[in-house]
Amino acid sequence: MVEDTKSRISALMDSELDAREAQASLVALREDVDARAAWHTYHLISDAIQGRAKLGMRCAHRVSARLAHEPALIGPLPSAVAAAQRPRWFVPSALAASLAAVALVGWMAFAPQPRPGPGIGELARAPAPALVSPAVQKRAEPARVPMTVATRDYLLAHQAYSPRNSLLGVAPYVRSVSAEAAPGKP
Amino acid sequence: MIRFACALVLAAAPAWSQAQSAAGPEALEWLRRISQATETLSYSGTFVYQQGARTETSRITRMSGPAGGIEKLEVLDGAPREIVRTKDETRCYLADSRTIKVDRRSDPRAFPALLPEQVGGLAEHYAITLGGVRRIAGYTCQAIVLTPRDDLRYGYTLWADMRSAMLLKAETFNAAGEVVEQFTFAQLDIGNVSRRQLRPPRAARDWRVEQAGVVPADLAQSGWSFGPALPGFRKIVEVRRMLRDAQPVGQVVYSDGLAAVSVFIEPIAGRMEKAQVGLASMGAVNVYTLEVADHLVTVVGEAPAVSVQRIGNTVQFQPPQ
Repeated sequence: MVEDTKSRISALMDSELDAREAQASLVALREDVDARAAWHTYHLISDAIQGRAKLGMRCAHRVSARLAHEPALIGPLPSAVAAAQRPRWFVPSALAASLAAVALVGWMAFAPQPRPGPGIGELARAPAPALVSPAVQKRAEPARVPMTVATRDYLLAHQAYSPRNSLLGVAPYVRSVSAEAAPGKP
Repeated sequence: MIRFACALVLAAAPAWSQAQSAAGPEALEWLRRISQATETLSYSGTFVYQQGARTETSRITRMSGPAGGIEKLEVLDGAPREIVRTKDETRCYLADSRTIKVDRRSDPRAFPALLPEQVGGLAEHYAITLGGVRRIAGYTCQAIVLTPRDDLRYGYTLWADMRSAMLLKAETFNAAGEVVEQFTFAQLDIGNVSRRQLRPPRAARDWRVEQAGVVPADLAQSGWSFGPALPGFRKIVEVRRMLRDAQPVGQVVYSDGLAAVSVFIEPIAGRMEKAQVGLASMGAVNVYTLEVADHLVTVVGEAPAVSVQRIGNTVQFQPPQ
């Protein structure tokens, strides 16, 4: 992703863009996986710095889960990469603190492995999917999202193939028209 | 001390019931009878669907017939919603959007009924035992309990009328034994159903019709692979269909003979609204949405969150050669 896009996303978070620029950044967020990743990462860092409670264990868990499945991460110096991608609103002292935290989690994640070489080999042989990073992230803890009205359509299409119909008749279909997934409801 | 003893008994109870159950023939016979009653009886009644703190009341009418019968469900709370179902077709009448959604089966043979000869196979994944006797909506009912053998599926307690085997109540419970969803008849009349009761809503004559246009499909040919299915689940059908009059959507359905999980795949580019990636739950239904290779993958199942996630995470795309 272009570095410029990242800085724009950073600016978007700080409400520093005019309407046209904001629109362009929102389009980038919609269409660019890396842009979305940056958006997510910046919020994560922002939350970490401000000590928002909801992060807690889950963040550390996700970071260590990702590190555990991405041996390549320990290759390059993390500080160099992070510095190059440093968003504008990011204060240097907080960066140091945050990196220290990530480094600590990373160290803890790798500590139990006696020899780094064979350890990485073992990881590579582990039955991981081809697209490691996004898949691992999803596996760790998917976001909780509300049922939407579109869900009705999936449920209706799904229900026809449920063998439970043999016991319950048409009754389970009530879920596919449930008011919970109705328009205007969250 | 007494409390300790109680805890010990409670802890031992599941192990005891597992050991007991090579699925009693009597319990299996009850499942066959329920399945048969659902297929052959005519009835009308009011039932309550409950999940979490929500309840919704509906009227159900079924008339048996040589072609497999016709069933109608009318939601009595909130906006009028009706579903009319025959062996070949399901029509969903939604008054709020003045729409009729028509889902015609591509191949009636692919109807995933729980056939009497398949009931025995359920014992592989569920311990099937008889529970107690209880009166529901004026009928004396026998309980049949299906306890899952792993955490990839929910458990069920079914109560069926001792005389007709008509199902009066069904509870779905999770690994912690908590009821996540239930269907209960509050009132039921067996027999005496007239054709008039099964008519679609009169107002629907000029409503918009959305055809699902279901056709058999082979998604592997387009480059999709699904990894190994969950233990006990096998692929039962693979189709292409329309959802919301947009682009065709691929659908693959897995089932363990009782629970089913559908995987829907559609191009993100053709969607009208942005879908939220993550996990949504309603009662026993879990919906896991993720993005794979510019496609939206939506896994919908009457199965625990872990099952829909595991199935979703195996979906991969490799451009066909």
